[in-house]
Amino acid sequence: MKDKLRRFLRIDRRWIFLLLTAVMVWPIIHPFGLSGKTSQQSVRDFYDFVEKLKPGQAVILGTDYDPSTKPELHPQAVAALRHLFSKDVRVLILTFISGAPGMIEELNQTVPAEYGKEYGKDYVIMPYNPNYMAAMTQMSIDIYKAYDKDAEGNDVRGMPVMAGIKTYKDIAGVIEITGTGMLDAWVAYAGDKYGVPIIGGTTAISQLGFGPYLQNKQIRGLVGGMRGASEYETLISKPGKATSGIDALNMAHLLVILLILSSNLILLVIKEK
Amino acid sequence: MENSMSIILGGWLSAGLTIFLFSFLYKDNPLFKIAEHLYLGVGMGWWFIVLLYGTWIPKAYEPFMQGEYVLIIPVLLGLSLVTQFIPRISWISRYGFTFIMGYGAGLVLPLNLATDFMAQIAGTIKPFSQLASMSWGAIINSFLIAIGAVCVLAYFYFSVEHKGIVKKASNIGIYFLMIYFGASFGNTVMARFSLLYGRFDLLYDFSGASYAFATPIIIILTVGFFALKHFMDKKKNSGVSQP
Repeated sequence: MKDKLRRFLRIDRRWIFLLLTAVMVWPIIHPFGLSGKTSQQSVRDFYDFVEKLKPGQAVILGTDYDPSTKPELHPQAVAALRHLFSKDVRVLILTFISGAPGMIEELNQTVPAEYGKEYGKDYVIMPYNPNYMAAMTQMSIDIYKAYDKDAEGNDVRGMPVMAGIKTYKDIAGVIEITGTGMLDAWVAYAGDKYGVPIIGGTTAISQLGFGPYLQNKQIRGLVGGMRGASEYETLISKPGKATSGIDALNMAHLLVILLILSSNLILLVIKEK
Repeated sequence: MENSMSIILGGWLSAGLTIFLFSFLYKDNPLFKIAEHLYLGVGMGWWFIVLLYGTWIPKAYEPFMQGEYVLIIPVLLGLSLVTQFIPRISWISRYGFTFIMGYGAGLVLPLNLATDFMAQIAGTIKPFSQLASMSWGAIINSFLIAIGAVCVLAYFYFSVEHKGIVKKASNIGIYFLMIYFGASFGNTVMARFSLLYGRFDLLYDFSGASYAFATPIIIILTVGFFALKHFMDKKKNSGVSQP
């Protein structure tokens, strides 16, 4: 018995990888529908902020993520853009991450068409800008100093979406979706300095680090990881990739908990003997 | 037709590279190496093209050709960094670095001090001036944050010997840190599983007829490759051991 238990503790970890694959793929093929409960106040604050925006107001949507964090952050960006478009808010999409233009293109190909939104009138995509500090600082004086052309090289000054926008004063808020320090930068360069409301969407790993900003109201709302994205999708009643992913995530967590518990129990039994 | 072919090809590439990279979990192999090197090469290529067409041409070349000759100064400062690769003239790069450091420090320090230092201190103290109007939950929360901040700072304060009250405070600080590390580790696990789900979800998408059954075919071929390699290695080893 003791030897068998010891053998279990020395199990080839590739069996655990296989088991993990099975428990995560199973709900993808047959979804259980375990998600649907909103519990985080910071997600509700994010939702409430967008909900209170008035039609015609302009918002900056920072999409600073690349394929490495896409499963967590892309559902957040999709949900945020859907919510903004449903409120008829003008959206300025921009990025400071070189891997993000592909992600933005994916957003552009799917979400605006769902709401009949027109490029240049309802939203605009700004080009990738490598120097976020310079761009954020310049935008406080004149947005066109940082962005005079869109991602396709068209002049943005004449676009209806930019009507009446010159500085941060004309922006209702910044929604930053990122797994990088770009959210910190928006807080420092736009939020704290010019009073622009900052709302964030971030990876689960980075989520805890933004706790002090949330506590201090330097960030008005925060969606963290796939769990946060699924809660947000539930709030806007548009289930997407995050909602379907929660089943797999729950199963994986259950497996980890079971493995931790069983290993510790076995260790206790072995010690007692 | 051409468009659908490119979509199918993209699916096969994506599924193939994902499976090749996952194959490392079984053991190191040439398929993993191919995917790894391709990833690095494509990443560098993408970065170069984005910088060229997203920065150099629209921000430097085009304005310069339209008469904004003052741009030559930042361009030269930027190019000076490249001299790092030529030891004989690498000293020139100091001009670029000096500018970057001066500009960066000037911009970052005051703002970050205000955002991450002063504002956080104020945020920790401020609730104590509003206790009368706060709920019990908010009051407990404010005390916890203040006690946690002081105790963790005591743990990292090495200018006095950790004994007496300082030791007690730093010990409490350890508990706060442990709770943070635990929560942080839990979130990290969740984040990694989310990424794994993303790949599995894509592999599932690519397993259908619209992608010419890319995922199952590549998995079968990969397993076949490992079986063949295992068989050949075994044969080779048995041949070596024979006198």
